[in-house]
Amino acid sequence: MSFLTTSHLSRYFDLSEPWLVRKIKGQPKKLLKAVDEVNIGVERGQTYALVGESGSGKSTIAMMVAGLLKPSSGTVLFNGDNFFNPSLGKIKRMSMRKSVQMIFQSPYASLNPRWKVGDILKEPIKAFSLIEDETNQINRVCELLEQVGLSPRDMLKYPHEFSGGQRQRICIARALASKPEIIICDEPTSALDVSVQAQVLNLLKDLQQAFSLTYLFISHDLAVVSTMANKIGVLKQGILVEEATPSKLFLRPEHDYTKMLLSAAPDISNASRI
Amino acid sequence: MTSKPVKPLLEIQNLDVTLKNRDSYFKALDDLSFNVLPGEILGLVGESGAGKSMTGSAILGLIEPPLFISKGKIIFKGKRIEENAISVRGSMISMIFQDPLVSLNPLRKIGDQLVETIRTHINIDKAEAITYAKNLLEEVGIDRERFNAYPHTFSGGMRQRVVIALALAPNPSLIIADEPTSALDVSVQALILALLKRLCKERGTSIILITHDMGVIAETTDRVAVLYSGRLSEIGKTSEVLNSPKHPYTQGLIAATPRIDADSLKTKLYQIPGTMPDLSEIPDGCPFHQRCSKSIPKCSENNPPLLYDRASCWLLEKESV
Repeated sequence: MSFLTTSHLSRYFDLSEPWLVRKIKGQPKKLLKAVDEVNIGVERGQTYALVGESGSGKSTIAMMVAGLLKPSSGTVLFNGDNFFNPSLGKIKRMSMRKSVQMIFQSPYASLNPRWKVGDILKEPIKAFSLIEDETNQINRVCELLEQVGLSPRDMLKYPHEFSGGQRQRICIARALASKPEIIICDEPTSALDVSVQAQVLNLLKDLQQAFSLTYLFISHDLAVVSTMANKIGVLKQGILVEEATPSKLFLRPEHDYTKMLLSAAPDISNASRI
Repeated sequence: MTSKPVKPLLEIQNLDVTLKNRDSYFKALDDLSFNVLPGEILGLVGESGAGKSMTGSAILGLIEPPLFISKGKIIFKGKRIEENAISVRGSMISMIFQDPLVSLNPLRKIGDQLVETIRTHINIDKAEAITYAKNLLEEVGIDRERFNAYPHTFSGGMRQRVVIALALAPNPSLIIADEPTSALDVSVQALILALLKRLCKERGTSIILITHDMGVIAETTDRVAVLYSGRLSEIGKTSEVLNSPKHPYTQGLIAATPRIDADSLKTKLYQIPGTMPDLSEIPDGCPFHQRCSKSIPKCSENNPPLLYDRASCWLLEKESV
């Protein structure tokens, strides 16, 4: 079995009118199927990418995989464990949380502006009681900063003193702090410039090798996905329409929606088209 | 055919925009010169802070203190406009912004907003303006019946269509499109860019397309200007610049752009070391030399001018000798 498996994963949102209005107008319940019966399997140490347009359910899947949102039906299994299994003990759940971390799209919104970088990075270490001793905590923070290409001195600065790319590095360091096995990257470079995006993507690749991390990579940008993913799942309105390796998906796409996405994506190699 | 060169629609000559902070002055745009020809789509590309939007604002006279135009000329149809851009703003040069939700008034019907724009710039009565507005809506692919709808009832792509209709309403000769599709999905982006391109080719309207996306540049523009730290680093035909870039920054930018390619997983992206310097920290000489892998001693001493009307790089000078 794969390291991370979702089976028949679904999430519905209830958009119906209030009960009385429904009765008077004789309307049925209205459900939005944000994610509908999605089955994916992610192998350890590999990158699985989910692509699709806004509203296709990419981030909803990420939330469910991270255990932040309860699935309407279906399960997410990590090494055979389910976050939402009621009989899962507190300690076990804690260790699962520790092994799943997230990197968000906007490095501007995901760092507390009033906390120093050192405190931001210490937070997961303290929350999971990984290191009790203060000096060792600081040593760990220095180590993390160096791993993502920042200087240990940056620990005393506030997030606003950094550029977008550097902030995303801080977010990555924070995700690494609890020594996770899988990191969910939700559009990690959409807010960044091209040259900075290249730096962050390369950093993510290096870290994957160094710590044998598994990534669930979410993006709308097929070009970015092609540089990162071992396997790609294409989502359309909550349904997984195609799943393939990059070489197959880009050379011989099967589903019409994948073909449409590929032809619509602006690609720098197309300069000769004019 | 005539050998006479086409007279440019817009000429920017040696434009400097300066930021005054207490007693220090920083150049946000430094000696920028380029032309826009009638009917062409010129792309302005660069990273955040390179001065792309600043150039757009300068053309429209939207530069406000603490920024000011300290040098240079902006000539539109033979007239200097850097002092009184209001005479052309809206009527002859219009603008499309990134976020279509912010550029439409949420409290007014789109029809009213169109009619208002039309009647501000064209002298026609209300009934004519309404017909004109409805025709415009149809042209950008929106049902005439939606004339009385409010902006929130439209999706992002539809709103951007309305914004394009608004920009086209006064029949401008130049549209400055500032990241018009960055907030949209790829499939919608392709439609909007195709629409913008088609309408402007039909009317002979020029476009300055400001974007950070090299893919959009490749597929949409005729010529492209690459900006770095408020300076023009390279300009030329899009296919030439993208296929054989002369400036090391352009080369790096293109190499760093991920491509849709089945094999790219195995290789790493090229990465330009460092980041673009802050306005207050732009080095002497070429602003890129500290990050440049090919820099020569001259690069840190003198700022290269635009050589061969193509790139601002001392290496080009060597190449010809």
